[in-house]
Amino acid sequence: MTWWRESDWLTRSGLVCLAVLVLVTVVGTVFGIGGDPGAMVGPRLAPPGGEYLLGTDQLGRSMLPRLFEGIGTTLLLSTLAVLVTAVLATLLGIAAGYYGGWLGEVVMRLVEVLYSFPTIVLAILVAAVAGPGQAATMCSIILITIPLMTRVVRASAVTVAERDYVTSAVISGAGWPRILMRHLVPNLSGTIAVQGTYALSVGILVEGGLSFLGFGVQPPQSSLGALIQQGSTYLLTAPWLVIVPGIVLIVAILAINVFGDGLRDGLEPREARSLV
Amino acid sequence: MRLFSWWLRRALSAVVTLFLVSILIFAASRLMPGGFAEVVLGPFATPEQKAEVAAKYGLDESIVVQYWLWLTTALTGDFGISMISGEPVTTEFGLRLPVTAELALFGVAAALLIGVPLGVWTAVRAGGRRGRAALGRLASGLGVSVPEFVLGSIVVFLFSRYALGLTVGGYVPVGEDPVGNLQSMLLPAAVLSVFVIAVTARTTRDAVLGVLVEPYITAAIARGESPGFIVVRHVLRNASIPVVTVLTTVTAYLLGGAVIIEYLFNLPGVGTYIVQAVGRRDYAVVQAGVLLAAVVFIVMNTLTDAAAGVLDPRFGSAAKGRKR
Repeated sequence: MTWWRESDWLTRSGLVCLAVLVLVTVVGTVFGIGGDPGAMVGPRLAPPGGEYLLGTDQLGRSMLPRLFEGIGTTLLLSTLAVLVTAVLATLLGIAAGYYGGWLGEVVMRLVEVLYSFPTIVLAILVAAVAGPGQAATMCSIILITIPLMTRVVRASAVTVAERDYVTSAVISGAGWPRILMRHLVPNLSGTIAVQGTYALSVGILVEGGLSFLGFGVQPPQSSLGALIQQGSTYLLTAPWLVIVPGIVLIVAILAINVFGDGLRDGLEPREARSLV
Repeated sequence: MRLFSWWLRRALSAVVTLFLVSILIFAASRLMPGGFAEVVLGPFATPEQKAEVAAKYGLDESIVVQYWLWLTTALTGDFGISMISGEPVTTEFGLRLPVTAELALFGVAAALLIGVPLGVWTAVRAGGRRGRAALGRLASGLGVSVPEFVLGSIVVFLFSRYALGLTVGGYVPVGEDPVGNLQSMLLPAAVLSVFVIAVTARTTRDAVLGVLVEPYITAAIARGESPGFIVVRHVLRNASIPVVTVLTTVTAYLLGGAVIIEYLFNLPGVGTYIVQAVGRRDYAVVQAGVLLAAVVFIVMNTLTDAAAGVLDPRFGSAAKGRKR
C-alpha cells in the first residue's frame, strides 16, 4: 500500500468516510436496524431522539431505516450507472484516440452533441421520455457522465498509442484484443479511476437533483434525493427530514471528490510553488 | 488568415452539432409517453376528438414532416404555440427570460469578482506546506460538493423561520419595485453563487498553479520582481484560457436556466417553466426550452474557442499543424 503512505490526511479521510458510510448502510440494512423502512410505526413528524433515533416522517415511518434504504439506493444507482459509463467511455475513448479515422469522428461528434446540454436539462429530458423512475435516473447519469470521461480517455489514449511498447506490440503482430487488454486498458486505468470517482459524485448529484424535482426515484422507494424532496414539504415544521439526508449527501459527495483529487494528484504529481 | 479559417471551421462544426441536437430533441419529445390529445381532452376522449386535436396541431403528419415543419419555422424565430396557454412559445419565454437573465447576471458577477481572485490568491499561497494545501482543497471541495437543493433548502428554512428582511420564494419584477426585486433575488443568487464561485476558484487555482512552475516565472523571481507584478504581468494571461472556459460554461449553464434554484425559490424563470412543461407534455415548450439551453451552450463554447485563439496566438496554427 504505497499509495496509502504517500497520500495526505484529506485523501485518506475521504476514503475512510466513504467506507464507513457504505459499511454502516450495509450493516443497517442487513440487520434491519431501526425496523422496517416501510412500516408506519410511530407518531407523525416526531423529532429526532428517543425511540426513533432520526425522528419520523409525515406517515410515521422511522427515518433511520429510510435513510439506510436511501443511501443504499443512491449509491447503488450511481455506482451501477458509473460502471456502465466507465466501460462505454473506455471503449469509445480508445476508438476515438487509438483507432481514430471515421469511427473517431463519429464518436467525438456524438460526445459533442451530448455535451451541448446542461446536465439537469438533459436529465429532465431523459426522465420525460423514459418516465420518472430509477431507469430514467440511471440513463441520465450515464448520458451526463459519458462525454467528459470519453474525452479524457481519448486524450490519454492518443498519448499511449504513440508509446514504443504499443508500436513494438503492433510490429510483433499482436492482435487488437491483446493490444487493447494488455497495453491500452492497463495504461489508461489510472485516468479511468480518477474520472470514475468524479463521475460517481456527479451521479449522486444528478440522482439527488432529479429526485428533488420529482422526476427521479419515486415513492415509496427512498433515495437521498427522494427523502429530501418528500421532506421539503414539511421543511418549516420538521426540518430534520431534509437536514439529515442533506448532510449525508454532502458528506458522500465531498468524500468522493477529495478522494478523487488525491488520487489524481498521486497519479499525476505536480510541482507546486508558493509566490509569497 | 489561418486563424480566420480555423474559426470558420469551428463555426461550421457548431452548426452541424446544433442540427444533430435539434434532431435529438425532436425525437425525444415525440417519444414522451402520453399523447398531447389525452392531456388536453382528459382520459375519456373519443377517437374522433383526439383526431381533431391532432389535426389542429399538426400531430397527424409523418414524423419527418413534423420535424421539418418545426425546424423551418423555428429558424424564422417561430417556435409554435404553447399548447397549454395558447400563446406563442416565444412570448412565453420572453416573459420568463428576464428572471433567468437577472439570476445569471448575479452568478457571473460572483464568479468574476469573487471566484477568479479567490482562485489566484489560493494558488499563489498554495505551494510548500502540505497541510495548508489540503485545507484549501477541502474548502474548494466543499463548495462544489454541496448540492444546491440541499443548501437552498437550509437557506429557505433559516430565512423563513427567522425573517431577516429578505423575501423567500416568489419574484418581484424590477420595474415594479427595485428594492423588493433585490430582496427576492438575493437568497437564490447567494445559493447559486456558492457553487459558481467554488467551480471558478478551483479552475483558476489549477490553471495558476500550472503556470507558476514555468521557467519564466523562475526567471521573474530571480529578477526580483514583486509577487503582485508577476501575477499581473506573467500569470494571468497564461492562465486565462481555462478560466475563460469555465466562465463561459457557467454563463451558458445559468442562461439555460438554473433549474433547481428557480424551482426551489419559486422564481418564474425559464428553468421552472421547462420543468412545468415536461409535466404538462407541452411539446413545443419543452422543445424550445431544451433547444434554447443547448444553443446557448454551443454558442458559448464556440465563443470560448474564438477567445482562446485571441488569448493564445499559437492556437490557430497548432490546429493546422497537428492532425490529432
